[in-house]
Amino acid sequence: MGVHLLNYRPWRGEFKEPSASVWPIARVGLRMMFRFWPFWVIYGLGLMIFLLFFFGQYLLAWAETQTAETDVRVGGFGSADPRVLIGVLRNILKLNGSGETYRNFLWYQGYIVMVVLALAGAMLVGNDVRHGSMPFYLAKPLSRWHYVLGKCLAVAVFINMMTTLPALALFVQYGLLDSWDYFLDHARLFFGILGYGAVLTVTFSVLLVATATWLKRTVPMIMTWATMFLFPRLVAPLLVDGLHFDARWRLIDLWNDTYLLGNWCLGIDLEQIRPSPQPAFAEAAAVVVILCAVCLTYLLRRVRAFDIVK
Amino acid sequence: METTSSRPVESVTPSPSPPTPRPNGERGAITSPLSPLGRGVGGEGTPPLLLFDRVSKWYGPVLGVNQVTLELRGGITGLVGAHRAGKTTLLRLATGQLRPDLVDVSVLGHDAWTERGKRLVCYCPDIDAFYEEMSGEQFVFTMARLCGYDAAEAKARTAAALDTVRMTGRADRVLRGYSKGMRQRIKMAQALMHDPKLLILDEPLSGIDPVGRNEFIALYRQLAERGKCLLVSSHELDELEKLTDHVAVMARGRIAAVGTLTQIRDLLDDHPLSVRVDAERARPLAGALMALPDVVGVELRDAGTLIVQARNPRRFFQELTTLVLEEGYEVSHVETLDDSAEAILGYLLGGRARR
Repeated sequence: MGVHLLNYRPWRGEFKEPSASVWPIARVGLRMMFRFWPFWVIYGLGLMIFLLFFFGQYLLAWAETQTAETDVRVGGFGSADPRVLIGVLRNILKLNGSGETYRNFLWYQGYIVMVVLALAGAMLVGNDVRHGSMPFYLAKPLSRWHYVLGKCLAVAVFINMMTTLPALALFVQYGLLDSWDYFLDHARLFFGILGYGAVLTVTFSVLLVATATWLKRTVPMIMTWATMFLFPRLVAPLLVDGLHFDARWRLIDLWNDTYLLGNWCLGIDLEQIRPSPQPAFAEAAAVVVILCAVCLTYLLRRVRAFDIVK
Repeated sequence: METTSSRPVESVTPSPSPPTPRPNGERGAITSPLSPLGRGVGGEGTPPLLLFDRVSKWYGPVLGVNQVTLELRGGITGLVGAHRAGKTTLLRLATGQLRPDLVDVSVLGHDAWTERGKRLVCYCPDIDAFYEEMSGEQFVFTMARLCGYDAAEAKARTAAALDTVRMTGRADRVLRGYSKGMRQRIKMAQALMHDPKLLILDEPLSGIDPVGRNEFIALYRQLAERGKCLLVSSHELDELEKLTDHVAVMARGRIAAVGTLTQIRDLLDDHPLSVRVDAERARPLAGALMALPDVVGVELRDAGTLIVQARNPRRFFQELTTLVLEEGYEVSHVETLDDSAEAILGYLLGGRARR
């Protein structure tokens, strides 16, 4: 073992800015998430939801070419009246290329994302804090905020791979099956999908990094996420629909708040959103902003304390 | 000029005395007030490689380090101290992981907290927490990217660093299957990869087999000879003594002493040096030794063995030599018993040295 092997030589290139370290940190996180094989079962579920929408839209486009027929065979599932089939696909499943199509898709995919994030939070962030891996990062020429940004970026990339990108693919598919005018007439939907994706990305990445930094371990993470998302989801309808409390009580349901913001991004009226009544979009936005601010404040304090020697 | 100087704030202050000859035996090696290894980077007029200037760091109400002043210019310096003495805090301050609450830590004149300061330092932590699913090569490569190298350069440096720690060909396996020694080598590779001026090593020999230890010790010596400055924290004092006899001793958040082991030992007036002397006529020699002004006690342990307690070791050895030559005593063995790092640390921290 000798230092001559190191071939020490002056570095003639330009060092990248510390901000460039954000992506390598994120890449490590993503690699861990995709290498953990049990997650692939959940990714498979997400893929099934995407394929359901993808082939649903394709089926709709095909059924619309069969309106002259009275009865069409749908694969091995039997036969159906094409007009009934179109009605089911357009009005019940909402596979009509409207904002509701993408909202529903993002809603279902959001569940998948939540489950994965609850399971992966400890692996992504918690283990670094718990096992003391932080010195490897903090001794490098980057700040602790670059570390946090890297972890948030990993979560953001994952969320967008599961939600925004497939939703955009569905948007493009519908436009190709329908007509080019669809892209022009529904340009707002394109930005609406990006907006809904951004809401999910910001909210869940900040929330995940904050809770994983706090709880560190997988089981407490799952319990806390379940408490945050499932418990209010059960209580809010009881309060508003059952006990007829003010619609603002639905604001305790964070999942519903992000859903409301997503609806706003996609241009869906408040009255069309079920269950009804719902609080105002601005109120849901305020809750999400406050939650993110609380998480960021906690992260600010916690990240400063990464160095605490126990 | 190879220098490792200090400005300790505690009462024990190493003096810049010339090298002191010591009697035979492993622990009585000739020492220098300066670190024996390394050319040093910061000469006179240039900023020191590492400078703690009255640095204090609090963790809430707990004081981590208290007005620490330390200056390193090259060579290998050991950092020793009891548990919770502040060693980890000091290392983290030096590597820019922590920001001092009072005054500054600088590396070659750059604030250790800043990006420029961190580029000059590497850190090999004692913790063993990797991403187990990654291969050693991927881990070192990722660390190279975090240093700001582009992908091609990071790959080249990863290969070179793995070669240096003899992990080429073995680093493509996932870290989960690595032995403790292999993990230590990977940690060392990620530390060496960016050619740092200052190497901060926390328990770098822990878990490595004897052959590997010798390899690493040789590597550290070579690095020091190339002008790098190494600050090595270790609880394995025997291993540390093989590496360097220049130490900084921490106690209760302060630097209790800095210097060579000989210098520090000489200053411990409250603890006379214990010297074993084997001679044929032990009893008359004991009487003669008691007449020497620096001898405070002589114990006749068995037929031919004396344990002498002496204060001023340098003068004592001169007087002992004179006595032996003039009186014709046949001395077969002279050995200092408590000038090892462990013994000195024991005295400094209030414990007893191992005899």
